[in-house]
Amino acid sequence: MPLDTISTYSHTLLRQDGRRWNELRRITASISTQPSSDGSSMLTMGNTVVLCTVTGPREGRGQRDNNNAIVETDLNVAPFASIERRRRTRTDKQIQELQSTISSSFQSHLFTYLYPRSLITISLHVLSLDGGLLVACLNAASLALVDAGVPMPSILAAVSSGIIVPTDDSKAKVEPVLDLNNAEEQELAYLTLATVSGGEKQEDKVSVLMMDSRVEIAASTGKVEAMLATGVDGCKEVRRKMEDVVKKHGAKVMMSRR
Amino acid sequence: MPREVDISNIEQHFILQALEQGVRLDGRPLDHFRNLDLQFGDEYGTVTARLGKTRVHVQISAEVTKPLEDRKFDGIFTIVTELSPIASPAYEVGRQTEQEVILSRTLEKAIRRSRAIDTESLCIIAGAKCWSIRADVHVLDSDGGLVDCACIAIVAALRHFRRPDVSVDGETVTIYTMAERVPVPLSIMHHPVCTTFSFYHGGETVLLDATRSEEQVRDSSVTFTVNDFELCQVSKMGGSSIDALVLLKCINTALSKGKEINEIVAKKLAEDTTKRDVGGLIAELRAENER
Repeated sequence: MPLDTISTYSHTLLRQDGRRWNELRRITASISTQPSSDGSSMLTMGNTVVLCTVTGPREGRGQRDNNNAIVETDLNVAPFASIERRRRTRTDKQIQELQSTISSSFQSHLFTYLYPRSLITISLHVLSLDGGLLVACLNAASLALVDAGVPMPSILAAVSSGIIVPTDDSKAKVEPVLDLNNAEEQELAYLTLATVSGGEKQEDKVSVLMMDSRVEIAASTGKVEAMLATGVDGCKEVRRKMEDVVKKHGAKVMMSRR
Repeated sequence: MPREVDISNIEQHFILQALEQGVRLDGRPLDHFRNLDLQFGDEYGTVTARLGKTRVHVQISAEVTKPLEDRKFDGIFTIVTELSPIASPAYEVGRQTEQEVILSRTLEKAIRRSRAIDTESLCIIAGAKCWSIRADVHVLDSDGGLVDCACIAIVAALRHFRRPDVSVDGETVTIYTMAERVPVPLSIMHHPVCTTFSFYHGGETVLLDATRSEEQVRDSSVTFTVNDFELCQVSKMGGSSIDALVLLKCINTALSKGKEINEIVAKKLAEDTTKRDVGGLIAELRAENER
């Protein structure tokens, strides 16, 4: 590519889109966007746009659990989401893996024991994709579940973090970066991290951790530790932004009732 | 539809209480693998891996095909996994369960996407002809640790496999049989090893290489793929939340266990090479000798 992050970052400490290492892309979100569903949200992280609707808790068809609600996820990536149009069928293994990840993370995160023999369906539609697919899906689903009124201990917040390794000097300090876009994902090693709040004065806990890249493990460099620490801090920032969205919507609802 | 046979409440409570006291049902320490055994078949690229009671058979095959349109200089490497009822009554022929998707995707990320095989070396003529390597994974017995056992088996099979030699003359490609020329090993860049950790009691108890019973009662699990000095892949797909520091400790444990397993695989491969060397005549047949 014409400009890559590794060669220019060491001089300017600015990324390709002008951000610094710990800056998120612009996050805008709204909830209650689809009146026909029980909960809905639309989330924009940079150029990634995800629409999420939640149906339920409702009566489950087929399999049912007598102790907990079952969380199902349906993920659709639009053919026009990327630069090249590509149709992804439901049998795409990557899509199925993402669906499984989202389902199991919310299955253990929500208070599902309050709705036995029920089904909660999360439908996600990716309208535009610029890196951070799993990140945006998890964040949008969290907001939609809040809108649906499903009880949970805290908002599950996700973010991606990567590492810039200077190629010239192997002993140079490694630089973590936060919230990668698509160009950075192609270039750098990165991981996707989702955390939940640990409660009063407790550390955040990791709920989802996915990494496809190869990163050196060494006590001296601490690359994995840097990525994890940056990701956990980034999740706090994302959670704060999502909580602001919920508070604004709540204030608007209360205002309209007055 | 068929389902995994659930263990009883008494058994669940027993396992959990034993783990609280640091005891496992089969007497292993919490951070030990089960006994790993590799059996290489007569043909190159055939391996049966046994991890305790879990058994996985891998067969590597190669054929010449046309490369992908957008990757003219790369060969093709695919991993085909199928869970059949021979492994467990819970699996059904043809129906793709969630566990099969997870197994397939984890192996794909661990081995293919981390570039364990140098696919550029599989190119014969750019854009026209390349080798297509296919790894067929057959799960024969399933007793937990399926991802770990399958990954070890695939990597061992790839290291064991030999493809036919090829010569290129312009647009003409000649493939020699095993009798004509000595087959060529694959170009392996690194040896990834999957290790799965299971968490109990809210992350206080960490278990390595859980059996099926232990897998059923766990809160969550995470799979790390490491080679000798790199972390290649991490999969923690939901489940209960775990402290980040605990995950970092698991990474270091996975690194040391990965080295151990790679040593075992290398030793087994050396044994197989020695066994194929009938009468020890390979030393006599060496063309390059020191002065």
